[in-house]
Amino acid sequence: MNRCIIIWLLMTLGMVLSCRSQDTPLTMVLVPGQGWEKMASGMKFCDACCTDKKGNFYFADAGSKAPIKRIGLDGKVSDFGPPLQGVSGLQFGEDSLLYICQGRTRRICALRGGKDLEVIVDNVRPNDLVVTKDNHLYFTETFSQRVYHIDLSKEQKVLKIVDSGILKPNGIALTPKGGTLFVSDHLEREVWFFRIDKDNSLSFKAPYGSLRIRGKNAQSKGDGCDVDSLGRYYVCSDLGIQMFDPTARLGGVILGPDPNNSVVSLAFSGQGLRYLYVASGGSIYRRQMKTPGVGR
Amino acid sequence: MKSFLNKLSIFIVFAPFSLGLGYELSEDSKPQDGIPKGKVTKHQFIDSEVYPGTVRDYWVYVPHQYDKSKPACLMIFQDGAWYQSLSGHTRVPIVFDNLIHKKEIPVIIGVFVNPGIIPPQKEGGKSRKNRSLEYDTLSDQYSKFLLNDLLPEVQKKYNITEDPSGRSTCGISSGGICAWTVAWERPDQFRKVISFIGSFTNIRGGHNYPAIIRKTEKKPIRVFLQEGDNDLDNLHGNWPLANRQMAAALKFSGYDYKFVMGDGAHNGKHGGSIFPDMLRWLWRDYPKH
Repeated sequence: MNRCIIIWLLMTLGMVLSCRSQDTPLTMVLVPGQGWEKMASGMKFCDACCTDKKGNFYFADAGSKAPIKRIGLDGKVSDFGPPLQGVSGLQFGEDSLLYICQGRTRRICALRGGKDLEVIVDNVRPNDLVVTKDNHLYFTETFSQRVYHIDLSKEQKVLKIVDSGILKPNGIALTPKGGTLFVSDHLEREVWFFRIDKDNSLSFKAPYGSLRIRGKNAQSKGDGCDVDSLGRYYVCSDLGIQMFDPTARLGGVILGPDPNNSVVSLAFSGQGLRYLYVASGGSIYRRQMKTPGVGR
Repeated sequence: MKSFLNKLSIFIVFAPFSLGLGYELSEDSKPQDGIPKGKVTKHQFIDSEVYPGTVRDYWVYVPHQYDKSKPACLMIFQDGAWYQSLSGHTRVPIVFDNLIHKKEIPVIIGVFVNPGIIPPQKEGGKSRKNRSLEYDTLSDQYSKFLLNDLLPEVQKKYNITEDPSGRSTCGISSGGICAWTVAWERPDQFRKVISFIGSFTNIRGGHNYPAIIRKTEKKPIRVFLQEGDNDLDNLHGNWPLANRQMAAALKFSGYDYKFVMGDGAHNGKHGGSIFPDMLRWLWRDYPKH
């Protein structure tokens, strides 16, 4: 009899759990009672959110010529490296170099040890970038509607066009295991997904996710993207941060901290990578999340 | 404490029934002696132009009564692996064997197709699962996949009717709304639909169907909707309410539909148990062999 009861209980629990694991409402990612917390302010236009593996957070004031800013685990804001103009994308590579998009000065450069700057490529207008574990860099160039690839391990840095045609390619990120790359479109609703092939080209482009928009013909303002460790996608947009489950079904829209400014960039960072940091207007905010990021 | 344990034991005993586990398969869904069996073959499809890069399995059931010189009817099942399984919730090949033999349904070729995945190439990468994109999207893309990509492969070998009333689609959950979408987009090709616990909710806009159906000239589609009172209520919507809205819209617009609401949850138990009756209703006036 006891055995029967246990079997019934397990069957029932199994069914309830299987129903739950199919779907990801915002209650599965947001921590109750934990709202946005302002971490830095007074900048012209914050952008280029990124993290290091320890959870120190980095961003830039894209609206001025200033050093990259770092927010340590203690919450203190400090300068990181020399003053730079118009930084719109940042990410650390596995080589610990900080890769930097500078659209206005038309280059991508890398910062070594927070001091030495080297130019990786110039004559490009990068918007945002991502670096894979095996040192391949992909970046969006919004005006030319292109995504480029650079093999960082090669002495000679060769630019290769790996996609063209997204109307305003903007944010760019990788899935947790790194096999899939995705790009947000600032104009249209689609979030485009690609397979990264063995030769590092992109294939099987598909409009896997679709952003909610404000109204008919409204711009999505799809922007910076990141993933959590369970493979959910987070995309900045006109309406806030849109969260998708691993099969790109919209899980919900997380409202941004400031109704007067869109959220343009985000990254999981902080202690245990358990905070979602965002750039909105001249400020940086963060909120605690139930699922950590992947440290990229 | 005792009262809590009593409540718990009542829950343990009755919860499975309220989740639809009380539904049983009838003799129609069990192998019968003396009834000839059709053949099920497994295939892989990798050449999709609609969903480039996807890989998927599909199975084809060919009944014993199939005669190459006569066009057979067609049923396409989404999430095909579940439907073709002889130990699954519906066991379609067994039901087909039994009902075709009794001439309660015509000679039907079953195509059981899985959703696609895009396998990774980078070491350690994960497959991109295409199920939601294929099934939940309100557009003609999945019907194009069936008509332009997959069916020509099947038709190389089998003689399938061109009569849209002889061609149907069936699916569960997102596969259910997908079955409806195929007929909705291409009633010139498919006019019969079975939906188990269909996801007419806002996964990718499916909650709009009742409104769209009410304000569109009636299409020549016959549809059977099965749903359960204990089905999902989550971020995408409330499945029982959504299916009630579908049924009400179908009634409003004068469709040939049947709606059965049980007490099951988000699974195929109830749908599987009444599947033989669904088939009888769906094919009731179609010429038998």
